[in-house]
Amino acid sequence: MSSTSAATATTEPSEGEKGEPAAPAKPHVIEIELDEQLYPKDVIYGAAYVFIDRCYVHLDRVGDGRVKVSLRAKRGGPALSEALAGELQNELLGQAWRQEIAAQNRKLIESVTARALGGAAGPPGLDELLAMDISDDTAFDDPLGIAMSWEDKYGKKKNKSSEGQAADGGTADGNASSGVADGTAVDRETP
Amino acid sequence: MIEVRFHEDLYDGFAVDEAVKAYGDFLSAELAREEQAWIVRFTPAPHAIEEGIDAWTLASELANYALGKTIERSRMPEDALALASGGEEA
Repeated sequence: MSSTSAATATTEPSEGEKGEPAAPAKPHVIEIELDEQLYPKDVIYGAAYVFIDRCYVHLDRVGDGRVKVSLRAKRGGPALSEALAGELQNELLGQAWRQEIAAQNRKLIESVTARALGGAAGPPGLDELLAMDISDDTAFDDPLGIAMSWEDKYGKKKNKSSEGQAADGGTADGNASSGVADGTAVDRETP
Repeated sequence: MIEVRFHEDLYDGFAVDEAVKAYGDFLSAELAREEQAWIVRFTPAPHAIEEGIDAWTLASELANYALGKTIERSRMPEDALALASGGEEA
């Protein structure tokens, strides 16, 4: 599966020419060897990316299907590096499991996404509108009377009431000024 | 002289190149391709050493940058990747 060791760094410093300052002592680096069958490259990348803000991470291939991860904490001593190496191994497991779930649910995710995009497509297109049955019988069908004007709906009743009021001595001007209130009053009287 | 090896299976050539350019002010480097690896050999700039940046830290920062860029590029859609690479192949 994976093996951890605290050993050499992946970079190879060599003694500089005369006058050049010598490279400082090798820092403490944790090395973890991983089997690519268990932890594919994408999984290793995912886990490494989580840690590159806190650690120096270097990857190398050490054999067929084996990857070596070298890890060093940016701040803190060897103990912190070792703790972070443990965290990295946990993260590797988490990433592997997430990838497994994504692979299992890929078809479901694709289906749900396709449905959502289909629903969000909006109103029908021109072809669908042309295919619709719009004849004289169906085009202006208004069973709820929504398209009817106020005058058409209440006009006759209003006329009746104004006739009645005129007979009682009221004027047409008086009715006109009373406006909507007259109409509603008529409505209440004649259900 | 410090040598850093980046296996070409695991690192993107453009990412390594970009990392060297990003840290160009702090080092003088030469790049090579040997045995399935991108090799970066560099010497820290005198002012970097004066500022207290040791060669190991510089090498590690360079490697981190190259890894981060490689991962970001591996997740880019192909058309965006081609655009970012200027139409060349790594």
